[in-house]
Amino acid sequence: MFETSLCQILFYLLAALAVLCAVGVVAYRNPVNSAMCMAVCFAMVAAIFFGMGAQFLGIVQLIVYAGAILVLFLFVVMMLDIHDEGQSRGSYIHAAVGVLVAGFFAGLIIITALRLPGATDNACPVHSLCDSVGELLIGEARTASETPAAPAQYGGSLPKLNAAAAARMENPAISDADAAKVTSISDVKLLGKCLYTHYNIPFVILSFALLSGTVGAVALARKIRKD
Amino acid sequence: MIPLAHYLILSGLLFSIGLAGVLIRKNIIVVFMCLEMMLTAANVALVAFSRAQGTAGVPVYDAQVLSLFITGIAAAEVAIGLALIVAMFRARRTVESTALNSLKD
Repeated sequence: MFETSLCQILFYLLAALAVLCAVGVVAYRNPVNSAMCMAVCFAMVAAIFFGMGAQFLGIVQLIVYAGAILVLFLFVVMMLDIHDEGQSRGSYIHAAVGVLVAGFFAGLIIITALRLPGATDNACPVHSLCDSVGELLIGEARTASETPAAPAQYGGSLPKLNAAAAARMENPAISDADAAKVTSISDVKLLGKCLYTHYNIPFVILSFALLSGTVGAVALARKIRKD
Repeated sequence: MIPLAHYLILSGLLFSIGLAGVLIRKNIIVVFMCLEMMLTAANVALVAFSRAQGTAGVPVYDAQVLSLFITGIAAAEVAIGLALIVAMFRARRTVESTALNSLKD
């Protein structure tokens, strides 16, 4: 029981820190402070990813968001020599409206999350709806083994990770005895298998998006000669 | 263990704070940071659902692949957006969103 309670304490601590730093991003007037708050916020989110067993995404979150994107932001902030925002008239009303809209949105999401189907009973209407829509859109029904089973209840705890089942999915020829010996899920292998088989074409298209992003950034930021 | 609803609440809170930042702040760079935060909030929800929808304790990796795509697109978007901000600063000497009112005058 100690392990689960430690997991819980860590999650709520990290989540509280992430939300606090997110508020800091909005509240600080100096953009450098905002950027630093954003770094901490993203690091906390990465830690939460680790806690959920998505190690690869946690690392990507840390490297891409907290590393690359943040440095880009800081670079631009330093380069542009920006002064603090002046407190103009009517900005308090502006802020109040913003907080009101966002608060309404947050309340809506929290109420929806707490009233998820399965929080009170085990029925799960979301799953059956997803299945029928998927068949309509894709045109081919997934085989029974591919279709993910409905979770017992959305409102309940996340299911425990099962290393043996993951090993069996990774290598169907593995024997039950060998599968039982596996103690950790190789997250990267399974994710890579999914990425390079089912999502191969989108992955290549994404690389083109990144390339056009790079070219576009250089073309936009380049100094235009007058002559 | 932690219920799925709490992950979704965390995601919703991050998204709402980002939304508030987009609505309140006038500095376009900070608005952009808040947009990134909203994308991260979507990632949190996706990873939580990938765990919740898993069969026999194995997460659904389609959700994590989608999350990876969001990260990649966000990187490209930041590069373009910051280049636009630099170009805007060259033209106007400011990054305040309220300064972009030449159509109004």
